[in-house]
Amino acid sequence: MLGETLHNIKLLAPEVCLTLFLCLLFVVDGILPKMRTNRFSMITTVVGCLAALVLTCKVGQTPEAYFGGMVVNDGLTKFFRYFFYFTAAVSCYLAFGSNEIEKQSRMEFSLLLLCTTIGMGIMATASNLLVLYMGIEMVSIISFVMAGFKRDNLRSNEASFKYLVFGGVASGLMIYGFSLMYGLTGSLNYPQIAAYLTSTQGNLGLVFWLALVLIYGGLAYKISAFPMHFWAPDVYEGAPTPVATFFSVGPKAAGFAAFIRIFLTVFSVKTAEGNWQMINGISLAHVIAIISALTMLVGNLSAIGQTNVKRILAFSSIAHVGYMLMGLVTLDRSGLTAIIFYLIAYCAMNLGAFWVVSVVSNIRGREDLDAFRGLGWSMPVLGTCMAVFIFSLTGIPMFSGFIGKFLIFGSVIKSGGFLWLALLGVLNSVVSLYYYVKILKSMWLDKPESQESLSLSFYHAVGLVGLAIPTIVLGLYFTPILEFAERTLSNIL
Amino acid sequence: MNFPTSITYWSHFVTIAMFALGLLGFLLRRNAIVVLMCIELMLNAVNLFLIETSMRTNTPDGIILVVFVVTVAAAEVAVGLGIILNLYRLKGTVNLDHFKSLQG
Repeated sequence: MLGETLHNIKLLAPEVCLTLFLCLLFVVDGILPKMRTNRFSMITTVVGCLAALVLTCKVGQTPEAYFGGMVVNDGLTKFFRYFFYFTAAVSCYLAFGSNEIEKQSRMEFSLLLLCTTIGMGIMATASNLLVLYMGIEMVSIISFVMAGFKRDNLRSNEASFKYLVFGGVASGLMIYGFSLMYGLTGSLNYPQIAAYLTSTQGNLGLVFWLALVLIYGGLAYKISAFPMHFWAPDVYEGAPTPVATFFSVGPKAAGFAAFIRIFLTVFSVKTAEGNWQMINGISLAHVIAIISALTMLVGNLSAIGQTNVKRILAFSSIAHVGYMLMGLVTLDRSGLTAIIFYLIAYCAMNLGAFWVVSVVSNIRGREDLDAFRGLGWSMPVLGTCMAVFIFSLTGIPMFSGFIGKFLIFGSVIKSGGFLWLALLGVLNSVVSLYYYVKILKSMWLDKPESQESLSLSFYHAVGLVGLAIPTIVLGLYFTPILEFAERTLSNIL
Repeated sequence: MNFPTSITYWSHFVTIAMFALGLLGFLLRRNAIVVLMCIELMLNAVNLFLIETSMRTNTPDGIILVVFVVTVAAAEVAVGLGIILNLYRLKGTVNLDHFKSLQG
């Protein structure tokens, strides 16, 4: 018994490691108050995330379920853990270079960030509705606090309250969906629910569909998919930019992890060839296709009229969720490989684009298109990096975003029957070019209001170039990532 | 355990009514604190349903989930009241109609 528990805890090593670093920060904060203002807490957070990354790599090479089947450790878990720890480390580095996070409260920021990261890891490993609920709430409640981090700023507080209220309702709907599912199947474990659904031979009552809609409502809120996307622009606009940067990548990917896991293990069964097949009586391919199409359309069309760059990027992140959902339509290897590649590309390019906004917001104190005027000429590194990220977000060849879109559209076309979806995706990419290029036009073509000498600090230049390089390299040399994605998928439990 | 069917029907009815009232209140009321209370009502409706289901199916999972839901709801209210307090400090009201600074 003890041996089994120890083995289980060993598989949870990355989370344990992050918790220890969290405790370390708490203790240091208590006994050495001077440490609040220097970079100690950032270094601890980044080192903690890197240590968790290494542990993820070392622990549990074979996929297995543990803690009574409530948690699984497989390829998908590992991939998402790498992803979260990397995102958290980069966001922490960014936050410490921004003056939106006050020097006095940086310690709290690091603590909250580490806590959210643990929650995201739990979301990715959950194989039980109770564990999933705990993970989601751990991420959500701390996100509400992070959104309201600028305590004396009305917009930040308003964003936080909006996030809290809608988040509370979304999780209420979701937990009602969980309870209906539990009432129907008598279990909270994914495999048991799947076994029950298989045993019904397609005779699923109204309650099942109601539960499905409610659960989708909660998860859609996390990934900001249609029809629960409306909070994203407001929250991203009001929250401090480093926090918005983190929200647009971390919790969103965590929602995706939960979404993919539920989709693959509850509503589908694995076939002999390593693909998945929806359980008899549940065919969600068309539903997902329509949701993906609507999410893309809403994101791209709403972004057109916006003048605040943070809002534009928020709508663009909604549109990107639409593209990623496309990969789930086909339910085969190539679609999931494409999603994984897209997530990696999205991580680098979206973090980068928000980073540029954060730098501009620090210089000018605002984030509308006018604030970007002429910045390309006064800070060439910033301008060039922004161009790289924007071209990649649009999906122009030579950049990682293009390869991601190419793989996703390719897998949808290959599966047949969803040609319209792929065409709509291409059309949407064309529409998105319009609002993305407005940012670049403002940066490079418009004349600055006055001649001012600005320079990009080395601290920010390192981060921006560090994100721009993978964005370009993955657009030209992407085979290793594809092989990695293949390996990840062959390990799914 | 023998569980009378009439209680099952009644608890379903009460659950749905409570949940719907919470959702309606969330949509219609403009006071921030009442909105938080409506979210609590929704979560407690779910708790009632979980307890009933757990007793009907004779499995412990539901009751365990209830404990977690209660804890999470408490945490959420703690954060929510903190934010409302801050909003009141900055604006002098908790009426949601007065918070319109985030509309593009």
